[in-house]
Amino acid sequence: MKTNIFVKDRVAVVGAGLTLFRRRHLETPRELAWEAARQALESAGLTFDDIDCVVTGTAPDAFDGVHFNGEYIADSGGFGKPTVRVYVGGGTGVFVPVAAWWHAASGLCNTVLAVAEEKMSPAHPHPQGVFAYIWDPILERPLGPNLIWIFAMEMRRYMYKCNTTKETIALVSVKNKRNALDHPAAQAAANITVEDVLNSELLVWPVNRLDISPVSDGAAAVILARENEARRITDSPVWVEGIGFTLDNTHWYNRELAFPRYVNYAARMAYKMAGIERPWREIDVAEPYDPFDYKELHHIEGLMLARPCEAPKLLEEGWFDRSGELPTSPSGGLLGVGNPIAAAGLMKVAEIFWQLRYEAGPRQVKKPVHYGLAQAWGDLMQVGTVIVLSN
Amino acid sequence: MSKGLSGRRQPGWVNPPGHYLKRDEMYALPGLVRYKPRARYLFSAGQAQSRFLQGLKEGRILGTRCPRCGRVYVPPRMYCEYCHTRTMEWVELPGTGVVHTAVVSYIAAFRERLKEPVIVGVIKLDAPGYVEGGYEFAGLFHRLCGVTPEDVMSGRVIGMRVKPRWKPPEERRGDVNDIECFEPVEG
Amino acid sequence: MAWKRWRIEDVIHYPGSQEVEEYVYTPGLHGLEAAKAFKEGRILGMKCGDGVYVPPKTYCPDGREGELVEVKGPWRVVTYTIVYEDFYGNKLEEPQVLALIKPDDADHGGLIHIVKVDPERIHLGMEVKPHWKPPEKREGKITDIEYFEPA
Ligand SMILES: [Zn+2]
Repeated sequence: MKTNIFVKDRVAVVGAGLTLFRRRHLETPRELAWEAARQALESAGLTFDDIDCVVTGTAPDAFDGVHFNGEYIADSGGFGKPTVRVYVGGGTGVFVPVAAWWHAASGLCNTVLAVAEEKMSPAHPHPQGVFAYIWDPILERPLGPNLIWIFAMEMRRYMYKCNTTKETIALVSVKNKRNALDHPAAQAAANITVEDVLNSELLVWPVNRLDISPVSDGAAAVILARENEARRITDSPVWVEGIGFTLDNTHWYNRELAFPRYVNYAARMAYKMAGIERPWREIDVAEPYDPFDYKELHHIEGLMLARPCEAPKLLEEGWFDRSGELPTSPSGGLLGVGNPIAAAGLMKVAEIFWQLRYEAGPRQVKKPVHYGLAQAWGDLMQVGTVIVLSN
Repeated sequence: MSKGLSGRRQPGWVNPPGHYLKRDEMYALPGLVRYKPRARYLFSAGQAQSRFLQGLKEGRILGTRCPRCGRVYVPPRMYCEYCHTRTMEWVELPGTGVVHTAVVSYIAAFRERLKEPVIVGVIKLDAPGYVEGGYEFAGLFHRLCGVTPEDVMSGRVIGMRVKPRWKPPEERRGDVNDIECFEPVEG
Repeated sequence: MAWKRWRIEDVIHYPGSQEVEEYVYTPGLHGLEAAKAFKEGRILGMKCGDGVYVPPKTYCPDGREGELVEVKGPWRVVTYTIVYEDFYGNKLEEPQVLALIKPDDADHGGLIHIVKVDPERIHLGMEVKPHWKPPEKREGKITDIEYFEPA
């Protein structure tokens, strides 16, 4: 049963577009945003003149090296229109269509262009320098941490609590990089084995190089429209059924790391709105956020697509393959397609859009699909953002 | 400049635009702008953390307690995140605790390889009188010493009882590094 | 123990610095063409639906793609300011004139640049021309024009 949430209009996704995801692009950040926006508009048969409002998203300005980066990329269509930037760290990519949804659902705008962009290559010698700002300047940075530490600690705790191994977790990387072979924008697609992951450079045990997604430049865009408008634009709108977003505190080392509460709360909010009571049966295809391989399993459990600690076993059984019961990251995810932070989250939403329209070509999952979900997470194990779509 | 997909092009919905540059190609571009930022910051530790750091200088681990829900916060907060009340009361913790998670880092802050790996983790601190619900706890992120990478990899280290190893008083500066590391409690 | 009122001296401060050593900005698609033109001592603009923009962009403000064209001037001062201090507040030896300069054959935008002129003499509408660096010293940047000077 659907809960009584007042929205003026149903909202649908009617178009999506991407640039290539690559380590280093010639294009400036706003050119990337514009290219993605243009792809999305073309796919919906629209032009910039048809867009009422624009929502942009990018993660820290310090990657692109441009202040007000959201406004900077916004003239890729936002010129002279109501435009807003949203920013919740890595969760931004899924938060952009969430914000676009309420622009349309409130009746404020008929059509909304949602663009996410990230150009990580300008920061030298390595974007790691920007990640240093994530840590608390008083209590954490004096210890000389590398960003990977925090994920390694969470992964270690997850392995301990769920009694799983590096070998099992590496299967996520193998699956996603293989799925990405079919993705035309992919940066890190490959046919690799568990041994390749285990033998790649050891960074912070238990994390090896191939457990992590690459550094990328890229942009993604989707178009959202109110119901009447959506039906005019396309015969196969993909409906936004539920959205969810929550925030946890910054004190990640004062919390149980094996279960992502921040994702769980956001998921419950989205399911409630979508009238989904048994997500593990009702969601047909999912794009959980996978900047690290264990994160996909961790998030699958937070999303209640598996019971706590059950995901590793299901993974081994092929449950999450494209031909499986509940395909996850059929796009290839961040591990395979690449991780231009905000754009990567929106790429996941775009993938669910294509899956639900049966337009994913060689990436189309085997089972029939009705409901799909994309999720991202951001900041210091803090932000969960979820969107549930249906066809 | 290589456009597109280095020979691997798939049929499908889209032909993604973008021009990938190799590192050398980028540096050879006319019009490339290189800029060195010069930002310097001074961070205030704030009310609660300043007192916490003073405590470290004295070899004590201090926390704050929420008068409403009884949560004990280490590191201390000026307000309770759950009740939104001011945490009025300071408490001293014994400093002992158990390892919640631990990892072995072979790289430093900017991905430089370390000569000797460093072990870091989360320590869940003993907080007498704090009945926690199983999810949140008083704790610190710090180095671990007296344990080997094998202890971390085998999982032996998780749940291990540890205590702080303090720097000598004259070397303490009111800094999180006044604690050298957490080490196993003998026996 | 209870809270005491803290004085500012009791608050501990930690220094930090910007940990990115350098930003490297690529010129972009049409920016690259503009950069090549700079090296040849030419200045490009973008022809859009509502006129010519300087400098060129990859896309026009209406979201469409424009066409690259060369602009030749004559250049005129649209607005200006006189700068007495550098970025960090140090007094400059000589005040500098910074102006927005638009060529007559463009409709929108213009270049922001230094005009080498006595601050007493600068005025709106003043005709100026670019003074280029010698070709071998040009890098495809706005600084390939050393300054503008009265025509
Ligand atoms: Zn409380």
